[in-house]
Amino acid sequence: MSEKREGFEAEALIHLDGLYGLALRFTGGDDAAAQDLVQDTMLKAYRAWDNFQSGTNCRAWLTTILRNTFINDLRRRQKRPVPVEFDEVAERPIYPQLRETDPEGRFFERIVDEEVIRAIEELPEDFRVPVVLADLEGLGYQEISEILEIPVGTVKSRLFRARRRLQQRLYSYAVEMGYIRGE
Amino acid sequence: MTHDERPPGQGVDRGGGSVAGGDLGCEDAMKNVFDYLDGELPPDYSEKVRRHIEMCKRCYPYFNFEQAFLDYLHDRGVKPARSDELEERLRTLLGEVDTEDAEGCD
Repeated sequence: MSEKREGFEAEALIHLDGLYGLALRFTGGDDAAAQDLVQDTMLKAYRAWDNFQSGTNCRAWLTTILRNTFINDLRRRQKRPVPVEFDEVAERPIYPQLRETDPEGRFFERIVDEEVIRAIEELPEDFRVPVVLADLEGLGYQEISEILEIPVGTVKSRLFRARRRLQQRLYSYAVEMGYIRGE
Repeated sequence: MTHDERPPGQGVDRGGGSVAGGDLGCEDAMKNVFDYLDGELPPDYSEKVRRHIEMCKRCYPYFNFEQAFLDYLHDRGVKPARSDELEERLRTLLGEVDTEDAEGCD
């Protein structure tokens, strides 16, 4: 095995599972698309491996490549994005229903991981991507605005609506499971 | 819907707010809830929101609730996933790149 390959396996390939998990969030659970995304990312990284400074944050570098690869592909596919229609019921805040019974939002902790992952996956793509970037990756509005090439105001509005939709979705699930009383 | 049942941020507390002190009303604080929790407000405005929610019986629990939701999302959203098929395919492709590189050196 070449020195380059040994270095890549030791520093980059160990992040494969983490990148694959992130790719699944970006692609909305589309397994084939997530695998392609990780594969493209890893091959790009391997071809550019000579430029990577050993010992620096390899996970962050790979994540940037993966994110850029996904966004570039998204732009190619979305020539004319269709705005997601406002849904008054799905985007209503849930706090008023829980103010008396669960004001601290303890019910969130009872919801299994798979359910929140499914809820994120089911968001329309225009909403899902800002949520993944902000809430899962921890990026700021300005950074997301630059990555997606949309105004900061649009980032805020999409995040706001996406979070409301996620809350409604998780609330419905919690009521269904009997974790909280529905109204 | 009665006044008490009205969702935060959609009430009629324009400007002054009903319960809070400071120079910011409930409505202004609540409509900025995510900007505040995301740390995206200008420092002086963020300080105004902080002072408001510290003293407001209505906004304080609401902000805590939204914070709990964001913390939950952050902690649960991304889980590593395993695919032996992907790893195997990748190792084969990396081998092909090695071969290309080796041939390029000849």
